[in-house]
Amino acid sequence: MGDQTGASGDAYELDELLGAYALDAVDIDERHRVDDYLAVNPRASAEVQAHREVATMLAFTGMDAPDDLWGRISDEIGEQAPPPGPELAKVMSFDDHPRRRAISRIAPWAVSVAAAAVVAFVAVGLADRADAPNEPLANAVEVAQADRDSLTTTLVAEGSDASAEAIIDQDGHGYVLARDLPTLPEGQTYQLWGVVEGGDVISLGIFGPNPEIETFTMEGQVDALAITIEQHPGVISNGNPDGAFVGTF
Amino acid sequence: MKREYTEASDATLVVSIGRYQQAALAEAYRRHAGASFGLAKRLLNDHARAEEVVQEVFVRLWNEPNRYDPDRGTLRSFLLAHTHGRSVDMIRSDVSRRTREEREAREQADGGYDVAHEVWDLALAGHVREAMETLQQGERDAIELAYFGGLTYKEVAERLGEPEGTVKSRIRSGLKRLRGELVHAGVTVGAD
Repeated sequence: MGDQTGASGDAYELDELLGAYALDAVDIDERHRVDDYLAVNPRASAEVQAHREVATMLAFTGMDAPDDLWGRISDEIGEQAPPPGPELAKVMSFDDHPRRRAISRIAPWAVSVAAAAVVAFVAVGLADRADAPNEPLANAVEVAQADRDSLTTTLVAEGSDASAEAIIDQDGHGYVLARDLPTLPEGQTYQLWGVVEGGDVISLGIFGPNPEIETFTMEGQVDALAITIEQHPGVISNGNPDGAFVGTF
Repeated sequence: MKREYTEASDATLVVSIGRYQQAALAEAYRRHAGASFGLAKRLLNDHARAEEVVQEVFVRLWNEPNRYDPDRGTLRSFLLAHTHGRSVDMIRSDVSRRTREEREAREQADGGYDVAHEVWDLALAGHVREAMETLQQGERDAIELAYFGGLTYKEVAERLGEPEGTVKSRIRSGLKRLRGELVHAGVTVGAD
C-alpha cells in the first residue's frame, strides 16, 4: 500500500469525502476543508458535480409544485427593485441642449433614416446585470438569430469594409456582433444609438474601443441603429457622424 | 412582446433571468420546481417548509443567476443541490430535528425510505431502480440515509452501526456505481 501520509494522505482523505460532501452529508468543518480542496482541484470539483447529477436523478419524483407557490415567488421578486445597470450616455432634450444648433448639424446619419431627429430625453440603458454570466451569451444570440420574429440589420459605414450585425428579439433584447469593427485608438469608444418611433435618437450603450458581442435593450419600435466613434466615455447626445456604422430595419 | 422560453436552453434561461425577464424564471420554475418541491418535501416531511425552501431557491436564482455555471452541470442539479442544502440546514436545526424525528418515527412504520417506490411511475424510474439494485445493500442504505435522511455520514455510520470510514467510502463508491449504471443504460447524467 502506498504512502498516504502528509499531503497525499490529506488528498486521499478528502477524495474519500467527495461523495458525502456532494450529498451535504459532512460536518461544517469538513465542508470547509473540502471547499478549499475543490478550489484548487478541478478533478475533485468535477467529481462532486458528477455525484450531484446522479443525486438529481434520485430526486426526480415527478411531483408538481403547489399551484400558488409561483404566485408568491412572483410577488417576492416583484417587490425587489432591480439594481441600476451600468451608467450610460444619457440623451438630453434637444431644446435643453446648449449646443442645439451643432447637434442638428452633426447627425446626418440619423436624419437620413428619420424625418426629424428630435432627441428625446430617454434613459435607455443596458439592462444586463453587471455580474451576468457571459459564457452563455453566444447561446442567447443563437436563439435570437433563429427566431423569425427577431429584427436583424447589418450596420455598415461609408468607405469601410467592416460591418456589425445587430439582432433585436421579440422581448427587446438586442445583440450587436461587433467583432469586425476595427480597434479604436486609446481614448476613443464606440457608442450605439437607436432611431426610435417619431425619429427620436437615443443612446443605447457604450461599447468601448474593442467590442465583441455587445448587448442592449429596446422598448418599442426602432427604425435604425448606428454605431459612432466618440471620445471616451461617450457623449450625451448626437454622436459624431464621421465613420458611423448605420443599419436600418 | 412575450418571448417563448419553452425551448430555450438552461444557459439561455439564466442569461434572460440575469436581464430581469420574469418569464424566463417562470420557465425555469415550470421545468424544475416540481423536482425541487418533491425533494424538499421528502427531506422535511413538511409541506409548508418545503414550499419555503423552493421559494428561497428560486428567489436566489433570480437574485444571483451568475452563481449558475452551465459548463459545470445542469440547471436542475444546481437547483436541487441548493434545495437539498437548504433543506438539510433546516433539518439540522434543533427544532426541525425534533419535529422531523417525530414524523420520521411515524413514517418508518409505513415503510421508511424507498427510492424505487417514489419514482416507480416515471419514465426514468426503471433505470434508476435498476441502477439502485446494482448497489450493495450497504451502499444503498448509506446513500438513502445521507441524501433523503439529511444525515451526515457520521450519523449514518452510527445509525447503521458501521465504521465512519466505511460509510464514507460506500457513499462515494455507490454514487460512482450509480452513475456508471445510468450512463450504461443510456441515461444522460448531466454534463460530463
